[in-house]
Amino acid sequence: MAIDYSALLFDPVYAELGVPATLTAGIAAAVDITVIDDTKPKALPLSAGTQTAEVRSVGPGAFARIYELAGKGIARADYADAVLAFNGRAWVVRAWDLIGSPMGEDWGEVRFLLKEAAVG
Amino acid sequence: MKDVREDILARLLVVVAGVPNIKTALRNNVDIQEELLPAVSVFDGDEETGGAEDRSARPAGRPYVARMMPEIVVSEKHDGAGSELSAFRREIISRVLGDATLIAHVGGNGAIRYIGCQTDFGWIRSQLNAMNVQFMFQYSLKIEEL
Repeated sequence: MAIDYSALLFDPVYAELGVPATLTAGIAAAVDITVIDDTKPKALPLSAGTQTAEVRSVGPGAFARIYELAGKGIARADYADAVLAFNGRAWVVRAWDLIGSPMGEDWGEVRFLLKEAAVG
Repeated sequence: MKDVREDILARLLVVVAGVPNIKTALRNNVDIQEELLPAVSVFDGDEETGGAEDRSARPAGRPYVARMMPEIVVSEKHDGAGSELSAFRREIISRVLGDATLIAHVGGNGAIRYIGCQTDFGWIRSQLNAMNVQFMFQYSLKIEEL
């Protein structure tokens, strides 16, 4: 019998580490989901001739379960520019990585790469 | 005592700090915090003379023609369409090439030249836009003045 990685791995991890979030894609109503905050320090190198300078900031990101999103009507085409709110901040999805599972990519995670909603 | 190189670099920081909408001006600081943006950083440039190729028997203390190439890095965060990089470039070139104090520092036989610029883009909390604007300063290095 195949192992159900969703039930045995992802769901318990999200139950422990996940935080409530809302994803708003386009003009559709906000959908309640669970994400794992993956915001990390990020230093971006700049060309400065013989020097290497860096701008220090964060790279905001969040993991979500693709099958949870699909089950709530959010397709991959809806990810772009969706507003994802969690942990007191609202972000815009600018890109994402699909992280597969042994059961196939539809049963894995997506890592959203986020940007600040208020700048630009 | 007179140090033309240092005089140029110190003045350069003052000049670029005056560019409109720049929040922070830094010198030789390689760790730029996001909160300081828009920032302009002046990095002391390499200095070259013709000394290595000079096979003459001239006295060691005679003047050299020195060329120094400082790096001016301007960085800001803004999504693509709102970038101010072009405005920063225009202001930096105009102010550096037109600054009377810098012109005085390089002297009558000296020169200031705009070399070019390179861009960098990436993502942090928002889009980061950066540009390295390069100049060449040519001046007389008078050993007896050091």
